[in-house]
Amino acid sequence: MELFAQDLVNGILAGGIFAVVALGFSLVWGIMNIINLAHGAFIMMGAYTSYVLFSTWHLDPFLSIPLAFVVLYVFGYCIQRFVINYVVRAPLLTPFLLTFGLSLLIVNMALFVFHGDTKGITTQYSGSSFSIGPVTVAWTKLWTLVVALAITAVMQAFLTASRTGRAIRAMALDIDAAQLCGVRVSHLYAVVFGLGAGLAGAAGVLISLSYSLQPSMGDPFVITAFVCCVLGGLGTVQGALVGGLVYGVLEAFGSQYIGTGLQDAVALVVLLLVLIVRPRGILGKATA
Amino acid sequence: MSDGFLSIENVAMYFGGLRALDDVSFEVERGAVLGLIGPNGSGKTTLMNVVSGVLKPTYGNVRFGGKRIADVPTYAVCRLGIARTFQVVKPFANLSVRENVAVGAMYGRNGGSRSARASFDHAQELLEIVGLARVADRFASELTVPDRKRLEVAKALALDPEVLLLDEVMAGLNATEVDEALELLRTINRRGTTLIVVEHLMKAIVSISTAIVVLAEGKKIAEGAPAEVLASPRVIEAYLGARYVKRQRQREAGA
Amino acid sequence: MGGITGNVTALRVTVTILVLLAFVPLLHSGYYENLGRGVLMFATLSFGWNILGGYTGYVSFGNVVFFGIGTYTSAALWQHWHQQSIPLAIVCAMVVAVVFAIVLGTPILRLRGHYFAIATLGIALATEEIVANIDWLGAGSGQAIRPLEAFSSYYVAMWIVCAASMLATYLITHSKLGYAFVAIRENEEAAAVLGVNATRYKVIAWAISAAMAAAAGAVFAGANGFIDPPTAFATDDNVFPIVMALLGGVGTVAGPLIGALILTAINETLWSHFPQIHTLFFGAVIVLVVLFLPRGLLWLLNVRGGWRGVVATFGAYRV
Repeated sequence: MELFAQDLVNGILAGGIFAVVALGFSLVWGIMNIINLAHGAFIMMGAYTSYVLFSTWHLDPFLSIPLAFVVLYVFGYCIQRFVINYVVRAPLLTPFLLTFGLSLLIVNMALFVFHGDTKGITTQYSGSSFSIGPVTVAWTKLWTLVVALAITAVMQAFLTASRTGRAIRAMALDIDAAQLCGVRVSHLYAVVFGLGAGLAGAAGVLISLSYSLQPSMGDPFVITAFVCCVLGGLGTVQGALVGGLVYGVLEAFGSQYIGTGLQDAVALVVLLLVLIVRPRGILGKATA
Repeated sequence: MSDGFLSIENVAMYFGGLRALDDVSFEVERGAVLGLIGPNGSGKTTLMNVVSGVLKPTYGNVRFGGKRIADVPTYAVCRLGIARTFQVVKPFANLSVRENVAVGAMYGRNGGSRSARASFDHAQELLEIVGLARVADRFASELTVPDRKRLEVAKALALDPEVLLLDEVMAGLNATEVDEALELLRTINRRGTTLIVVEHLMKAIVSISTAIVVLAEGKKIAEGAPAEVLASPRVIEAYLGARYVKRQRQREAGA
Repeated sequence: MGGITGNVTALRVTVTILVLLAFVPLLHSGYYENLGRGVLMFATLSFGWNILGGYTGYVSFGNVVFFGIGTYTSAALWQHWHQQSIPLAIVCAMVVAVVFAIVLGTPILRLRGHYFAIATLGIALATEEIVANIDWLGAGSGQAIRPLEAFSSYYVAMWIVCAASMLATYLITHSKLGYAFVAIRENEEAAAVLGVNATRYKVIAWAISAAMAAAAGAVFAGANGFIDPPTAFATDDNVFPIVMALLGGVGTVAGPLIGALILTAINETLWSHFPQIHTLFFGAVIVLVVLFLPRGLLWLLNVRGGWRGVVATFGAYRV
């Protein structure tokens, strides 16, 4: 019973990060219909940003979240506006391969600059934890969850309340009609992609607090993001949040009862089950 | 139970609370040209979808040659002998016009016994009947709208159907093109194919149909020979409204 | 005949190149044999991908699964039954792969577009993990295969596999089967109305694709002498064939081989001149190919409207 509770808690804590990972991915997929295979590379960039800021200026990682967000936002904006845009409405294969190529470029650039050895961020509070009954909770992970929830709340507010957010949602529904209403689509597409990258960067910082860093660290998160989006429902902030949390819990239990080496197999099974039983996901709307 | 050629028996189609079709029954005779008319939203296209096996009716049956269409998967419906055209025409863009028609010839009712070359020959024949032989080698994406409609008809004909359902095939055509289309339909009917034509153009329907069925709000409100159906007050009411009919009667009574 | 068969000149040139490749063993150079065998292997994988991705329109990002199945079948035949025969390995690999494809295909091919692509990627990753946990297949440490004495026999075998794949592609595009595939790609619903049983033909396409990949894998395993999960399910073997098909021309007969030749040439040049950052350059190559040749080289030869037609396509995909 204690094990069950511990797994559940661990799952929820990890789920917060998954939610932020999924959120950025979901934005780009839901609004631009692009599966960004470089999402993992953006996560890695965020993690390394936090590492550089930490090792050079001892900046606490939680404080580098906004910085990583901004850096990745600008990077993503430029990538979309000047590279991806040329094929953004092309059939599936083209943007897919393009983002894959970009991912290769970015990861190998990181390999070149930072080399392949594993790095880590150890803060003063890294190892500390507290206990509620039989369950141990690491402070880092708890704060990570809190920040993750805060980020999703801010994104939700942005998308529903701000003018840009509303324009983005209009664009997602009908890009041509939005253009006719004066929405600057090429700019907004870049904004969306920038937001997706920024969120990935923020997720990367959160990840760097609990996991070790390597140039290839972000790649597994692409599949995770996909599964969370499908699970929770594409196109909404709540969907990414629910998908992330549920997937976090499923993975925690999966590691416990099936074994840690089979993460991808678990992810695939979850994905297939969802796609076959309830393709729209937990919170998704049924398409007509 | 009916031993008829094509029987629509008490067909109802409910989408949640919406009754798109409600207890529609009629018979189609072999060799006929049945006009299916009705105001917008009366359920004509839904009925076409049911008859062609794209939708399974909530209640009722469509029987063709004794078999229930609903029992057959979509790709097998053409093997029974029923083919249809679609309102929104989307040909295979990256194939030539001839190849578009050949696909139907390869996989339709007689496709099993046809070789690839025989399929292309059959396609060429059909292109000549519909008048597309001159563009046979062009990509389908390059065709004009009337030509695309011809292509749509040719593709359906390639399935060697006994019954051809035509869904608003004349929409968007000018007067000359409509006359050409009518001539084509008459030719197809003369070759032995039964037609069910959904159309808004009254003039076209009247000139070509041997019988007419009128739908309104999902129900059948009239059936019979064209002249009597179109004179029926109930039909006029469905199209033009009860107030118009009342005013007409008052005018006639007063005159 | 139209849109499904490609440029005849390109086809003749490619066949000539293929025939020339058959003579590489006469050079008695291990380096060129390795290189040539690599071209043939990647071309086969690309032909396989092309059947499902190019002709049927189902973009798979997990074709490496079948390659891996092929390698492990070959390895298992040696490890457990001491069979070295290449034809036997190829046939067994193809059988296992086709069974896998049919079993997996029926649920997975119901998915479309992005979902299908990622599901296949997931299958590739998951299979690698699962195989790494199976002791009978050597688990994480892999299995060895004793190579045949006559090393060139692997080259010849790979050439035969590649030539057979190209021939199969050619025959398919000149038969009714090819039209079923293309009809599904162009408009799956309309194809169904025209009598094409989409499920059946998608599975057939996937099975053919699997058989080609597995045959290549079976030969590779013997030539390599050793396989483990990362080697059998390498990302390179997954993605390169796709880029090659894209480069040469998706949905054409000659495209995969042309793409394999060009990309291998580029890869070798990068590898010998910039060993440190060759993967980085390769990423750049992928980006450039995708941006400037969205439909491949062979399409450039066929496009209507000449250069203006080419430029016009770029505008179509922008926002």
